[in-house]
Amino acid sequence: MKRRVVITACSAITPIGYEKDDIIESLRQGKSGVRPLRDDGLLTKHIHSRVFGTVDYPIDYGFKRQYRKTMGPVAYYACQVAKDVLERSGLSQEFITSGRLGVAFGSTHGSPTVQREIYHTFFNALEEKFSSIGAVDYLRSMVHTTAVNITRMFGITGRIIASSTACTTSSQSIGYGYEMVKFGMQDAMLCGGADEYDTTTVAVFDNLLACSVDYNDTPHLTPRPFDADRDGLVVGEGGGAVLLEEYESAKRRGAIILGEIVGFACNNNGGDLILPNLDGITATLRLALADAGLAPTDVDFVSAHATATKMGDVIEAQAIGAVYGDRPYVTGLKSYMGHTMGTCGVIETILTLYMMEQGFIAPTLNLVNVDERCAMLRHTRELTEAEIKIAAIQNFAFGGVNTCLLIKNGGMVE
Amino acid sequence: MTKVEITEKILTILTEDFEFERPGLTDNLRDVHGFDSIDAIELLGKIEITILGFPLTREEKEKAMTIRTINDIVNYIEDIKRSRSK
Repeated sequence: MKRRVVITACSAITPIGYEKDDIIESLRQGKSGVRPLRDDGLLTKHIHSRVFGTVDYPIDYGFKRQYRKTMGPVAYYACQVAKDVLERSGLSQEFITSGRLGVAFGSTHGSPTVQREIYHTFFNALEEKFSSIGAVDYLRSMVHTTAVNITRMFGITGRIIASSTACTTSSQSIGYGYEMVKFGMQDAMLCGGADEYDTTTVAVFDNLLACSVDYNDTPHLTPRPFDADRDGLVVGEGGGAVLLEEYESAKRRGAIILGEIVGFACNNNGGDLILPNLDGITATLRLALADAGLAPTDVDFVSAHATATKMGDVIEAQAIGAVYGDRPYVTGLKSYMGHTMGTCGVIETILTLYMMEQGFIAPTLNLVNVDERCAMLRHTRELTEAEIKIAAIQNFAFGGVNTCLLIKNGGMVE
Repeated sequence: MTKVEITEKILTILTEDFEFERPGLTDNLRDVHGFDSIDAIELLGKIEITILGFPLTREEKEKAMTIRTINDIVNYIEDIKRSRSK
């Protein structure tokens, strides 16, 4: 059984906005969501990178304590976007709880904020070490906290996939959700990812010399994907969710079709856990095209992973060039908000859906002087009014995990 | 702490920390207010700190798992206090 899979609702909390109109405005106006790193009283004074893709606007969650009690900050993002998506989808409560809807949702490592509270207890020689750890701290911090808090809040009883593969977390969520529906295991999947404000992630990449440090006083000028003066990634936060449905049933119930997932691939480099791998990435892009039955010339737009690390961008550019040549527009959307880690795949998918619907392509921010080693691509250098029929969203993670999603414009789905 | 004071303290915890709306002393907490096993563990932690002033043993905590009403909680606390004072 192979069924068509469409996206019928989406929501994203990002450093450049939460509501669709705000995000589109930021993309059109070239607004950055990168801000100075907040002092956490712990790590920040040791970290060289002083920038962060920050969600700095209030969100009215309104979750009851019954649900809040098992949620860390990451689950707040997850449940909020899940709530939006279920409301916007128009799915009946009967369907949501029927077992035919599953959840594929993840984060990089649960809630580091809660984990830090636990470690704080141990490393501060408190008298009541054991009892001061709350009964729900595990539920709030565990790796699958986002997925199961969503199921709990909305009574979802279908399959659970709690991907946790760093930067490919949510692209895997979408890809595996797509396969669940495509092969008839579920009729719909709520897919996405979230990651909260976390300085430990910044510290990790800082120690690996992968973080941006040269633009601490001008946060909006970094990250700089594909730019000759890029100096590393900027960690960010956020959450995003999409609802995937089987095409025929979505059409029957009159759902608005935002896009169709026509291909997905995920593979592993099978070697180094950190260094980008040209063969692995190139294979992923080709596998996705094969899954979709598309030719490289069918793809109009590539949302590049493009973290703005020195080697990562070069390897990715080589892979895009090898597979697509210089035909599709290429944008590094992380230039607007930094690297939202486990969330980046779904956020970049949603931003691409918005651009497809609105008929424009946002340029890569801060791309002033293209690195000559990345110059073989058709970089989006300015706001471009263009029709995207097929888009590729590609993401790569520590551990050598690579993903590529191919999405068809919802207005062209027949 | 008298029985009345314990009752008031429990009511305060349940309304302020657990956000229960007007809990009755004989309400089935699970059915009426969604009180679950996670709440039970959390409530015991608060009882240890704010009412008893000492940690409960595992056996004492296990006995609490059959509690259904606020009156049950108050009786449970009084039983613990009595058995510890012997």
